[in-house]
Amino acid sequence: MLQFDQVSKSYPGGFVALDRISFRLEKGEMAFLTGHSGAGKSTLLKLISLIERPSAGRVLINDIELSRIKRSQIPYVRRDVGIIFQNHRLLMNHTVFDNVALPLVIEGFTGKEMVKRVHAALDKVGLLDKVRCLPATLSGGEQQRVGIARAVVNKPPLLLADEPTGNLDPDLSKDTMRVFEAFNQVGVSVLVATHDLGLVARMKYRTLTLKQGRMINDGLLQYQEPV
Amino acid sequence: MSILFTGRATGAAAKKIGLLRRFIMFWLNHARQAVASLGELWRTPSASILTIAVLGVSLTLPATLHLLVKNMQQISSSFTQAAEISLYIREQTPANQVQSLVTILQADRDVAQVIFVSKQQAMAEFQQISGFGAALNYLDSNPLPDLIRVLPKNTAPQAAETLLKRLSAERVVEFAKLDIDWLTRLNAIVSMLQQAVAIIALLLLSAVLLIVGNTIRLSIMNKKDEIEVMKLVGATDAFIQRPFLYTGVWFGIFGGLLAFLVVELMLWWLQSAISNVTALYQSDFSLKAMSFVEFLTLLLIAVLLGLAGSYLSVRRHISAIEPTGP
Repeated sequence: MLQFDQVSKSYPGGFVALDRISFRLEKGEMAFLTGHSGAGKSTLLKLISLIERPSAGRVLINDIELSRIKRSQIPYVRRDVGIIFQNHRLLMNHTVFDNVALPLVIEGFTGKEMVKRVHAALDKVGLLDKVRCLPATLSGGEQQRVGIARAVVNKPPLLLADEPTGNLDPDLSKDTMRVFEAFNQVGVSVLVATHDLGLVARMKYRTLTLKQGRMINDGLLQYQEPV
Repeated sequence: MSILFTGRATGAAAKKIGLLRRFIMFWLNHARQAVASLGELWRTPSASILTIAVLGVSLTLPATLHLLVKNMQQISSSFTQAAEISLYIREQTPANQVQSLVTILQADRDVAQVIFVSKQQAMAEFQQISGFGAALNYLDSNPLPDLIRVLPKNTAPQAAETLLKRLSAERVVEFAKLDIDWLTRLNAIVSMLQQAVAIIALLLLSAVLLIVGNTIRLSIMNKKDEIEVMKLVGATDAFIQRPFLYTGVWFGIFGGLLAFLVVELMLWWLQSAISNVTALYQSDFSLKAMSFVEFLTLLLIAVLLGLAGSYLSVRRHISAIEPTGP
């Protein structure tokens, strides 16, 4: 599904954000991406969503090399990858419904089919009763879930999340992770970047750990009690 | 259409819908977006009204100048009626030959009217008008020639010229003169005015283009975050720019309508003043207002300028906005 092959990314000025990263995420697999801030998690996600291009190496989704994607094709690639942002990135002056419907409107859905899908997505994250609300009237956790609903509303085969539990309390974090698990169980590949190591360890999924741009661990993370 | 996953059903296109239905949906979508853009303007009334007012004023000037030229042409075309050919008769031509020429001319198909002025009549008139009076009595003989004044049927300068050539070939005619110089001068002035108007109109219309472009640029900047989010969830540039293009079109429509209203108001205001002046000149001149076709042209130009202005702006600025990170 998703493959990194000796990928490096350096920025002007010599800062190396990613250093020869290689890994493979299979179809229907769920994995965590951890590391301290500045370790390269965001850069890695940016390479997948084509916000940035790698300096060296290849990024492949479904065996198609992303470097071959032309600028005009980028929107179509992004429609196949659901992205959840740390700061939600919702349209604050539009209702929850409009926010979740945005990817569908972009793809040309209208009428009943669109309403049906939006309601299904909001139902999955438990926000069906907030359809007509403005995002500003929702709590942080609810806003995050609206972001999740928007990312999954057009049923992408690959789901990326960048610090989805960044500013949530532990219970809400657990709930959010459950939502990801539920999507994973219906066959969606999920990659979650987070620095919440305790949560990652408890969830018992494959974990990719980055440190200063290098992959230092690929596999299950041993749970350590916080000191 | 999915690039990465062949066979993945994406978008409404994946659903099997008929061509006709898709065609209807296409226009329905556009209509919806047009209305949405109108709503956007409605939500920021002060800014929208200011922009529309500026556009209206900028469009009013060329429209007014156009009407000015149109009315000038009307006046000058009424003057061409006065084109008159004077035939000066050779000295010592027997009176009967002159008379027969008058008769021939009266029968001519190209001639509307013939007036014969004999040298005695001319002398009497000259004595009366010039003020030399008795002094002229000292002349040995009357130096003035006989004169035939001919009004051509076709008063266009070209046709009158042809008639002049033909009449000056007459044996008894010393030389023929067409009083056409002032007419060509007037025409030259009108065409010069027309060109000046064209230049001013061009300047003002490019001002409209720039105003719309800049307004759209500002509204793109205001929606930078929104555009980034749309790009992140897979919106194409074409999708993002459509509402802005519609905004440009609405600016054009409202600006054009405002210009029309201002012009009508101005005409109404001037009407009484102009009728006073024309009454003094005993002319039946009446101010010509904007015709329906001209109104439509004004509106069309305004809409096209709005569209072009927003297109220029959208092209540059929307592709420049790139999301910086998840």
